[in-house]
Amino acid sequence: MVKKILSYSYIYILLLLMYVPILVLIVFSFTNATYIGTWNGFSFDLYVALFESEEIMIAVGNTLIIAVISAVCSTILGTLGAVGGHYLKRKSKAALENINQIPVVNAEIVMALSLVVMFVFIGNMIFGGANLFSFWTLLAGHIVISAPFVYLNVKPKLQQMDPSLYEAALDLGCAPRKALYKVVVPQILPGIFSGFMLAITLSLDDFIVTAFTRGSGLLSGANNIETISTLVQAKIKKGPIPPEMRPLTTIIFIVVLLVVIGITIYRNKGAKHKSLARQKFRARKE
Amino acid sequence: MRFRFQRKYLCIPYFLFLILFVIIPIFFIVFYAFTDGSGQFSFDSVVEFFTTTNKINVLIQSLLFSTLNTIICLLLGYPVAYILASSKLKSSYVIVLLFVMPMWINFVLRTGATRDVLTWIGINGGTNPYLATMIGLVYNYLPFVILPLYTTMLKLDKSQIEAAIDLGCNRVQVFTKSIVPQTIPGVVAAAQMVFMPTMSSYVIPETLSEGKIVLFGNSIYLGFANNQWNSSSFMAVIMLLIIGITMLITRNFTEKDNSKEETKW
Amino acid sequence: MENNYIIELKNVSKIFDDDTIAVDNFNLYVRKGEFITFLGPSGCGKSTTLRMIAGFEFPSKGEILLNGRDISNLPPNKRPINMVFQRYALFPHLDVYDNIAFGLRLKRIPVPKKDKEGNLVLKIDHKKIRELKREYSLIKRNRHLEEDVKEAKLNEIEKKIEQIKSTPTQSYSYTKLSNKEIDKKVARALKIVDLEALEDRDISTLSGGQQQRVAIARAIVNEPEILLLDEPLGALDLKMRKDMQLELKEMHQKLGITFIYVTHDQEEALTMSDTIVVMKDGVIQQIGTPKMIYDEPKNAFVADFIGESNIYNGTMIADKKVRFLDYNFVCLDDYPLNEKVDVVVRPEDIHFVKEEKAMIKGVIANKIFKGMNYQYTIMIGKTEVMVKSTASYEVGSTANLSINPDGIHIMKKDFTTNVYTDAWVNKNNEVMIDDKPFACEITQLVPDSTLDEDGNVVSKDGKHKYNFNDADVVAEIALDKIDVIDNIDSEECEAIGEIVDSIYVGDHYRYILRTENEEDFVFVSPYSYNLNDKLGISVKKEDIKLRLKKEVNEYEI
Repeated sequence: MVKKILSYSYIYILLLLMYVPILVLIVFSFTNATYIGTWNGFSFDLYVALFESEEIMIAVGNTLIIAVISAVCSTILGTLGAVGGHYLKRKSKAALENINQIPVVNAEIVMALSLVVMFVFIGNMIFGGANLFSFWTLLAGHIVISAPFVYLNVKPKLQQMDPSLYEAALDLGCAPRKALYKVVVPQILPGIFSGFMLAITLSLDDFIVTAFTRGSGLLSGANNIETISTLVQAKIKKGPIPPEMRPLTTIIFIVVLLVVIGITIYRNKGAKHKSLARQKFRARKE
Repeated sequence: MRFRFQRKYLCIPYFLFLILFVIIPIFFIVFYAFTDGSGQFSFDSVVEFFTTTNKINVLIQSLLFSTLNTIICLLLGYPVAYILASSKLKSSYVIVLLFVMPMWINFVLRTGATRDVLTWIGINGGTNPYLATMIGLVYNYLPFVILPLYTTMLKLDKSQIEAAIDLGCNRVQVFTKSIVPQTIPGVVAAAQMVFMPTMSSYVIPETLSEGKIVLFGNSIYLGFANNQWNSSSFMAVIMLLIIGITMLITRNFTEKDNSKEETKW
Repeated sequence: MENNYIIELKNVSKIFDDDTIAVDNFNLYVRKGEFITFLGPSGCGKSTTLRMIAGFEFPSKGEILLNGRDISNLPPNKRPINMVFQRYALFPHLDVYDNIAFGLRLKRIPVPKKDKEGNLVLKIDHKKIRELKREYSLIKRNRHLEEDVKEAKLNEIEKKIEQIKSTPTQSYSYTKLSNKEIDKKVARALKIVDLEALEDRDISTLSGGQQQRVAIARAIVNEPEILLLDEPLGALDLKMRKDMQLELKEMHQKLGITFIYVTHDQEEALTMSDTIVVMKDGVIQQIGTPKMIYDEPKNAFVADFIGESNIYNGTMIADKKVRFLDYNFVCLDDYPLNEKVDVVVRPEDIHFVKEEKAMIKGVIANKIFKGMNYQYTIMIGKTEVMVKSTASYEVGSTANLSINPDGIHIMKKDFTTNVYTDAWVNKNNEVMIDDKPFACEITQLVPDSTLDEDGNVVSKDGKHKYNFNDADVVAEIALDKIDVIDNIDSEECEAIGEIVDSIYVGDHYRYILRTENEEDFVFVSPYSYNLNDKLGISVKKEDIKLRLKKEVNEYEI
């Protein structure tokens, strides 16, 4: 019993330590002091300041746009890659999987630098010294870091699937493409979904690739695209986290919490959801 | 002719994408590493790297930081994973989730917060760069260790542990002779999640040491920021080599782990 | 239509990319409404043939005709053929109803187009032209077709296209089946398979037998012209399997559609089929009714594969007289004098008789009660004879046996390979042929397997382990793979025997070497040996092909 209490208190202390920096930011987001550690009384001033800060709003907007677009692209590319790769012959399959593994194990900074070097080279050699860096190079960079993870999430679902399901669909009259989307896609949907979520997270969190491959565009207009990561990095290089960014932490924390709770509930209620759908069928049939 | 469509063709866009944005860029890195500013073949970057003590020091310092960070994270995370995996409570999954959740909050913001809090309690990056950086690294990479260890430990063969007890092992022996060997693949996977990323990290040392500690990642970044493509590329090549070597070393473990996984499907 | 064949396979061969010949020159004609079974050991090409009929594989050579129309290159979704898969392949994301309705929802019913006055609309059928053009380009690219055949076919299609271009035909619009119709059809299919109450159930909640029924319902609801069944009962337990056999047979009679059934279980084939096609190594061994195949097996392989049988080496000694088991039997088959033949006798065709009527005598070595009768193993010298009888005799007593002429089936010896049907594996993983150990590759019994240090065979994924000690196998050695050793004292000799027969065939000799135990090894050699020469033989271990007599999982440990 004592052992149990000791071991659990170890876990809870560690957990608490993990959350200290975030909790401190959240607590001090409700006061308008410049430095954390000083308490100027409870207020929502910083929240107002957050939404009034054009700089931050642009960064948040950019981050979300990039995350959604790159996650959609990564999910499509990675899923197609996994589905196609599943039906490749052994050798080409091994080749695809090994290449897919490179961005997974490679250091982000090496990936980022290699992309930059290529874009610079192509810009100089093919486009006569043009600056290629833009939203598109940034997008390519984000897809490079997230699509391999979509691939890895979808692959096991394909391996679990009975290979004759696809043939059964053909046999029952589906054209090949229709069979893929009516039978194979529903089977791998959980993998596609978790891959998509992972792609979103990787993009939201990314600093290195963004800093290397960005150019002007999106909400930043003629300036370099700022995301939350690059903006915060620029700010903390000069001093503490700006006060108006503390509420941003609170908001991100709440959103993450809600998403995590939502997904957990959704997973647990998967079975219930199914039976509901079936009831609908019944109603329709009658 | 509709039936000419084959399912394997679906991977062509992804294959092309990988070749264009993963394989070719790596060739460019190698190309830049062994050329000079004018595009002529040269060993300038190589010579520069191995003659500049500063750069060698950065490499050694990075290796030390990575090793130390890996060890600390494993020491802290292993008991957590073990306690949670062996607990019969359903809530243990939630606790794992709680450990992992900070990963979903913007990492630069988290790093900044860590620094601000450390400064607040007196561990100033300017005066204690090593301690501050180390804390920042552990703080960031601990969740990456707990997750793979936890999943490996969930798969622990309980009957093997019972067999060890039955054969007369005491608690310590059960741990060293049965549990530790069984969790080696998880430990290797966890170490992989920490070691290389620490070496190549930029934001954490930059922020927490207030620019005083330069790890390999910073070095590449600085080269990039100062338009020193060739020397940065050569460092990236070194990085690639180190990654390749660690992959080869850990391959045996992870392959075994993979095969186990596959039989489960 | 000049014949009532629903499906015809003409000279069909399938060669896979790695050059393995899965099906070799397959010719088969199936009548409408027939229940036909492809029977053979695994890897004999039966499933590949079925998959070609379904459209999942295309033949490398030859053609498949459905109602006289060439469908060789038609994709599966365009064929009025449905399949019941080995592991059912039910869609896990759909419930029972939706699984069964899957094909119906895809169906489009042609409705004649009418203009405003109600007259039928006539149009040139461009769709048909497109289809023909597709077929044209396919045939053009087919490497396996001979030039003149190709030419003729292309011309024929060109003519057809011209004809369609010049004659407008009735045009159709296509409509889906209404929900009501789908409902009706699904309900009927569910009734046929006896699953009326389960339409809302999730697939994962069904038992194996129920899933099996859903799979059948899902196929028959589309009213296919042919129903293909790929070892559909393999995953069920024995009792369930027996019940389903009868039910399938009943269903076949009720529905009146053609069933093509694939199995490796000879009993299943005998119970259910109108016609059985026995296959081995991609080649048809025999086609016939179950009775024909059982009573008159065409060769030793068929005899051994279908039912239990005693197979002996015999010699024709006179007109309709054959010598085996050291006795001269009267038989019904006519073969040239002195011809070496395979003799097959079914265990139930050997009778216990009074001593004075005995043709052969032996000692009862073993007796097993089989419910209906006793199965005896009787030793005549060193040769085993399996006999079935309802009468009970003591083990160790003398058995007086006789065989009627109609119980003796004589087959031309297959001189392409030596087949040893009573071989077994010893504990050193050697195969015992003629009670002599031959080194062999035991891992061939499980594809892609390896041997561990304990001598067990481990499957590729490491999940299954097999010990084949004492396993009964059929061993095959090709004639040209037997090496002759002149020095019979050499250690390399795996067996020693005497030349009992030699024939000069063009450029080489074919010999039969008979060992002390009357086992024959047929081999070819360019050298000349005399009758009664004593020789030793050896076989390289990779040249011995083994096949288990029982299921592989019986040896799993």
